Amino acid sequence: METKLITAAVALLLGALFTLLLSYTMLFSKKWDPKGKHCLVTGGSSGAGRALAVELAKAGAHVSIVARNPERLQKALEEVEKARKTPEQVFRCYSFAVNTESGSVAAIEAASEPFGGRCPDAFFLCAGASRPGFFIEQSEASLKQGMEQTYYAQAFTALAATKAMVKQGIKGKVVFCSSILGYFSMVGYSTYSPGKFALRGLAETLQSEFMLYGIEVHLAMPGTMYTKGYEEENVGKPKITLKLEETDEGATPEHVAGVILKGVRNGKFHITVDFIGNVFRASSAGASERNSYALDWIHGLIGYIALPIWRKSVDTAVVGHRAEHQEYLRERGFLSV
Amino acid sequence: MPSIWTSLASLALIPALFLVATRILSFKTRWDPCLKHCFVTGGSSGAGLALATLLAQNGAHVSIVARDKAKLQKALEVLETVRHNPQQIFRAYSFAVNTEQGSVAAIGAASEPFDGHCPDAYFLCAGASRPGFFVEQTEESLKAGMESTYYAQAFSALAATKAMVQQGVKGKVVFCSSILGYFSMVGYSTYSPGKFALRGLAETLQSEFMLYGIDVHIAFPGTIYSPGYEEENRCKPKITLKIEETDDGAQPEVVAKVILDGVRSGKFHISVDFIGHVFRTSTAGSSERNSYLLDWVHAVVGYIGLPTWRKMWVDNLVVKHRDEHEGYLRERGLCSVE
Repeated sequence: METKLITAAVALLLGALFTLLLSYTMLFSKKWDPKGKHCLVTGGSSGAGRALAVELAKAGAHVSIVARNPERLQKALEEVEKARKTPEQVFRCYSFAVNTESGSVAAIEAASEPFGGRCPDAFFLCAGASRPGFFIEQSEASLKQGMEQTYYAQAFTALAATKAMVKQGIKGKVVFCSSILGYFSMVGYSTYSPGKFALRGLAETLQSEFMLYGIEVHLAMPGTMYTKGYEEENVGKPKITLKLEETDEGATPEHVAGVILKGVRNGKFHITVDFIGNVFRASSAGASERNSYALDWIHGLIGYIALPIWRKSVDTAVVGHRAEHQEYLRERGFLSV
Repeated sequence: MPSIWTSLASLALIPALFLVATRILSFKTRWDPCLKHCFVTGGSSGAGLALATLLAQNGAHVSIVARDKAKLQKALEVLETVRHNPQQIFRAYSFAVNTEQGSVAAIGAASEPFDGHCPDAYFLCAGASRPGFFVEQTEESLKAGMESTYYAQAFSALAATKAMVQQGVKGKVVFCSSILGYFSMVGYSTYSPGKFALRGLAETLQSEFMLYGIDVHIAFPGTIYSPGYEEENRCKPKITLKIEETDDGAQPEVVAKVILDGVRSGKFHISVDFIGHVFRTSTAGSSERNSYLLDWVHAVVGYIGLPTWRKMWVDNLVVKHRDEHEGYLRERGLCSVE
């Protein structure tokens, strides 16, 4: 019995030393510099995508923005131009739908042309949208659309990007934009969270698999961003969800883009944007590569105590909404008479 | 003067006491499957069949749903052998539940012997795994992966919810995700996204179902020694098989027992073995926990053990596999010849 305890204690101590060592080695990892690199940004004509494109331009990168709407793309390109640092930078915009493999392949090929066919070095996948609503009001079509606008919007671009980089031997980067709703979920997000969780599932697979190629993957998990997308999202959002989010502080897309780019520069796998994001990240990391084992311990401990208390208040509010919701259902003929 | 360890331990007590208080205030009775109507998708094989059998042993009415009629018939015979009392109704229905229409039809058919009253509990075990390298995937294969992991259960959940809400049934929905819904690694780009997505849906519904008094559960088993597992291994990359060499799998009957126990005792996330518990507690975030004290222990083990396993075993093996993989890609024309 004593030997078991001693073995366990020694194992624990060795493990603790190992994790401390991991934190130490992370301090000395090389930083990534966007200068002179070709960065492709999907969803690049609005919101966080456009803000990221501008940040990358400021940092000296070549920038190709991809989206659907040609007018918005043109406007975004003008903003990117304003951020120009050197005359060598190549700024382009391309109108493609990237939610199919063929669309993504075509977009990457078009973007590669000014570079003699060399594919981009970094892919910032910011395409996505949110249409919240009650689960019982969904249909096969709306759940599929939700997956389209969250997961497929980025997965096929990641696929095309990976094939291109592997083919050309480019040790580049893929940056996914998930959401804090990829760490947790609540009432109203059945069309959104599954796809944002799925992006994490893909990123976790690739973080491992890309070690075969020397490609890096990053996963951004921002919270509320004050964008046009957010206004559209709130149009159909259930009242109870809006109520629960009353106390949330959002961020500007410029701020979020700054944090994401900083995280990519510093080689962070999961990139969270504020304190709450850090708490969620640390509390749900599992086997995911952490950025700081020491800091995460603190955030994790805070989460362990605070998150269940916060959650209980969310649950109480939902239960309190029952009667009003029954009326809502009755009006729409959901309940049997 | 309390030591830092006592202080830390007592900090962990705060949520534990909090949970105990709330549990006492909202006393949950243990769920009993006896004479409840349980609807099991993917019920003709693997963990689904094992669950259906266990539910039958415990006195439930059981409706199993799958596609293959011959397998369904065999499964029904198995259920009969464990019949507990003469009132139990066992039925098998051949439907494809990966569409809302198919799920609605299946639930409609299953409700008939009960005068249109829909099932009380939905065990959604439908799913399959086709691992492979990401660079070898296509839009179709990634979509097929999402179909056989997420859509295979999401539309049944949708149809079940609408039926239960309409009829005022305070029932249960049980999703079958996977430990690969807590983490992922090389080879699972067609599988993990959908298994993570199931968790995303379960987390939404655990909150949203409080509007209706419906419970949601989600199971995260590891390797299950089933026909599905054999098929999965046929296309699995060598490197993935190598990493999994040290894994212990479980028989479907064992997994089914743990899942049913978890549903009975009202657990939200149901993990099946020690490794599962470590992953569950290390990724819980704001998800409702089953035990704040035990979780703390598992999480500490995870905090140290998981990165150690990840770096020294998984990442190390993958990096060592680079050269062999390059040859593999070159053979298939997937990378440029240098």
